[in-house]
Amino acid sequence: MTDRILTATVVLSLAAVAAFAAPPTSAVGTPGKHAEDSCVGCHSKLEDSRLRAPAEAANSDVHHTQGVSCAGCHSGDPTSDDPAVAMDPKRGFVAKFTHKAIPEMCGSCHSNAAFMLRYSPNIPTDQLAQYRTSKHGQALATGDTNVAVCTSCHGAHGILPPADARSPVYPTRIVETCGHCHGNAALMSRYGIKGNEISEYKRSVHYAALVTKNDLSAPTCKSCHGAHGAMPPGISSVSNVCGTCHLSQRERFDQSPHKDAFAALQQPACESCHSNHAILHPQDSWIGMDDKQVCGSCHSTGDAGATAAARIASALGKASSADVTTLARVQRVERAGMLMDEASVKLEEAHQAFVMAQLEIHTTSVGRVEAQTKTVLGALAAADKLAAASETEIRYRRSGLFISLAVIALAMVLLILKIRAMER
Amino acid sequence: MPAAHEGRVISRRGALNWLLGTSLGATLAAALYPVFRFVIPPEVAEAPVNRVLAGKLSELPTNSGKIFRFGSKPGILIRTVTGDVRAFSAVCTHLACTVQYRPDFQHIWCACHNGHYDLQGKNIAGPPPRPLDAYKVDIAGDEVYVTKRT
Amino acid sequence: MRALEKFWHALDERFDLAPLVEFATHKEVPRHRHSWAYYFGGLTLFFFLVQITTGILLLLYYRPTSEAAFESVQFIVTRVPFGWLVRSVHSWSANLMILSAFAHMFSVYFMGSYAKPRELTWWSGFALLALAMGFGFSGYLLPWNELAFFATRIGTDMMSKVPFAGAWLLKFLRGGEEVTGATLTRFFGFHVAVLPMITAALLSLHLALIQRQGMHVPESLEKEAKARKPIRFVPNFMLREGAVWLLGLAALAALAAFFPWELGIKADPFASAPAGIHPEWYFLFMFETLKLIPAHVLGIEGELLGLGVFGLGGLVWFLVPVLDRGSRTGHRTRAFLVLGWFLLAYIVSFTLASLAGVFK
Repeated sequence: MTDRILTATVVLSLAAVAAFAAPPTSAVGTPGKHAEDSCVGCHSKLEDSRLRAPAEAANSDVHHTQGVSCAGCHSGDPTSDDPAVAMDPKRGFVAKFTHKAIPEMCGSCHSNAAFMLRYSPNIPTDQLAQYRTSKHGQALATGDTNVAVCTSCHGAHGILPPADARSPVYPTRIVETCGHCHGNAALMSRYGIKGNEISEYKRSVHYAALVTKNDLSAPTCKSCHGAHGAMPPGISSVSNVCGTCHLSQRERFDQSPHKDAFAALQQPACESCHSNHAILHPQDSWIGMDDKQVCGSCHSTGDAGATAAARIASALGKASSADVTTLARVQRVERAGMLMDEASVKLEEAHQAFVMAQLEIHTTSVGRVEAQTKTVLGALAAADKLAAASETEIRYRRSGLFISLAVIALAMVLLILKIRAMER
Repeated sequence: MPAAHEGRVISRRGALNWLLGTSLGATLAAALYPVFRFVIPPEVAEAPVNRVLAGKLSELPTNSGKIFRFGSKPGILIRTVTGDVRAFSAVCTHLACTVQYRPDFQHIWCACHNGHYDLQGKNIAGPPPRPLDAYKVDIAGDEVYVTKRT
Repeated sequence: MRALEKFWHALDERFDLAPLVEFATHKEVPRHRHSWAYYFGGLTLFFFLVQITTGILLLLYYRPTSEAAFESVQFIVTRVPFGWLVRSVHSWSANLMILSAFAHMFSVYFMGSYAKPRELTWWSGFALLALAMGFGFSGYLLPWNELAFFATRIGTDMMSKVPFAGAWLLKFLRGGEEVTGATLTRFFGFHVAVLPMITAALLSLHLALIQRQGMHVPESLEKEAKARKPIRFVPNFMLREGAVWLLGLAALAALAAFFPWELGIKADPFASAPAGIHPEWYFLFMFETLKLIPAHVLGIEGELLGLGVFGLGGLVWFLVPVLDRGSRTGHRTRAFLVLGWFLLAYIVSFTLASLAGVFK
């Protein structure tokens, strides 16, 4: 009995003093069971829509459906029907949280591994710790209230799990969510950020993969910057970030002389050629010294790098133009009704080697690119030979028909002679 | 010499008739030869529309894979460590390279950009945006037939 | 030789065939400066026979489903020995058959051969041409390539404009609301069963009537025909016709050699229609005319009006033996001669202009 009283006293005093160190026991129901309290009952009947909205949103809220009621965050006494009692500040009730209080309030449960385990065994519990290291968290600590807190991204009432497609942090929606603030150039200028990152990102292959192919593994803002610990990746870590998905390119880049050179020049690796947010579909035509090409920003005409670039560009150019002509020839023969399966296999081989050649660009080794383009040209030559053989076959058929044509013509002439002879 | 003249006419007629008969016969042969050839089916007796003989079970040890052809498109036949036989389209969903089975990973892998697919064809790592199309596998004796699901 | 004679006697004894032989040996074809026109009917028959032969051959490998049709045709032209030739000849012969049928029809028309007592021959011939076009329309879709697919979609869509029966007709032809595999199955049925059956019956009638009535000689050529010795049907005319058939065969071989019929690209019902969709050339004059008519003429839908005019024109053409009253007594009305020339000029000019790309 005394133990209980003691516990209750400790809990209450902790709630009062340290604000939200643990959720009030009365606010936490059985996990997996929908929370029941008087808050929703009253608030959903209120005239003022601002006061009604949270109650209406609560029904779909992940906390509410898991048994955590309004009081889980706002405290107070949800068992009382009397508003004065239920929302008594003396009982810990908080009507509106300050911006700064929110991360700590959410973290009171979400950082508690033992507590979270009851609801979701695999949920991480380091969000608050990460947040404190993020640009957002650091600024919040200095008293900046413009920065994002938990609710800025996840919403306040009606919070949905991130895997729910309606959640603002679902992959297809997260860009807009970040864009709320990061698309605002005036606000961003205060932090020395351009504010065009969102619109730049929307031009990228990553965004295209996300929206047109609905590829949910395509990187969004958080894939490179982190979610709770959001930060710009440092210059040295760019290739690590990109390399988490683009392993083959990174491996080849690391073998190239660019790796050390970029590090010495304090240049980011991938970003120098591919940009950061507006990562466009790479073109072979980027390789070279012209204004719109990428090599000229470090190399000068005539140096070893420029020469290598020219040779790589020429090898790729030769392979791709050969690909276009051979493909056209094979397709023409195929439309004419010849079997081109073997040639298609060769074309695939060429395609694959071409993709590999583009990958080898990252090594900057002329030899390695040329080894692949040589394979491309070999496969294309084989396909071309097959197409030529089919064209010969068509001509051969034509000559066969010419012979029968001659036979028919002869028969016709003889028949006419026969008729003449008969009718004379 | 009317008789001799007549004889010449007759022989000329005979020659004409012979030539005419021969050329008409040749024409007929030219028309019938393709017909006789046409009615005998080629070695591959039907168009590979949605079913092919992908390989022999005896030539497919466990933990190995094999590329076969669906018309001109590659497919991959794999035999898992546990002996299951599965077939997928071998065209990588990223940039259409041909995938392969990696015995060391015990799953499907694409060499071009290091894409990984599990034994159900699901993309599990690297750039591939979608799983590989799965085919239905039928085993008749030693022969493994693969059917496209439509 | 003796065995053959014996066999003949046995047949004659049972079926009394001697009068038929008697008829054939006495049959004559009048000779005048337009006798050449008498060969077109036979030439059309030759192409029809080629169609039957090559058609049956194609049936050995063809599969009438949307999944397999294109592949089976591809299989025929790429893998089956001489499949490319059989398919090419089937396609070319179809076109030459229609061309020859048109030539036959117009030559008959200008010689006034439709007049009494040959009305029924004209009508059966008219129906045969319609059937031939039906063969062409249904056969065009069977390879299930892109061009054929969209041309069929447009062609059947025009049918839906027919008043009252349009919606029914569309569903009947397509086997549903859209051109799908169901349409292919249907068209295949029409092409290899329904149309050949009706054609066989009508063709027998058409040929029997011609044998019964003999060749018609136009009044303007009667004098000339009387003055010249007619051609004996057996063997002289038959040999001549044989020479014409050889010419037809040569034309087929040459066309197959120089312009092998293309396979095209497999139809994708969900792809958007590529540019330059057109029907077979013998539908072009109607196709282009319907495109030229404005969307609305005097409150009537343009296409409906066009179809109405074509329907009416077809009816007039069909009823020529009745409408041309003078022809019954051997004096043809000038107006119908003008109509014939006008129609010929219209069809030829529109078809050529369309092929030359004038309407693009």
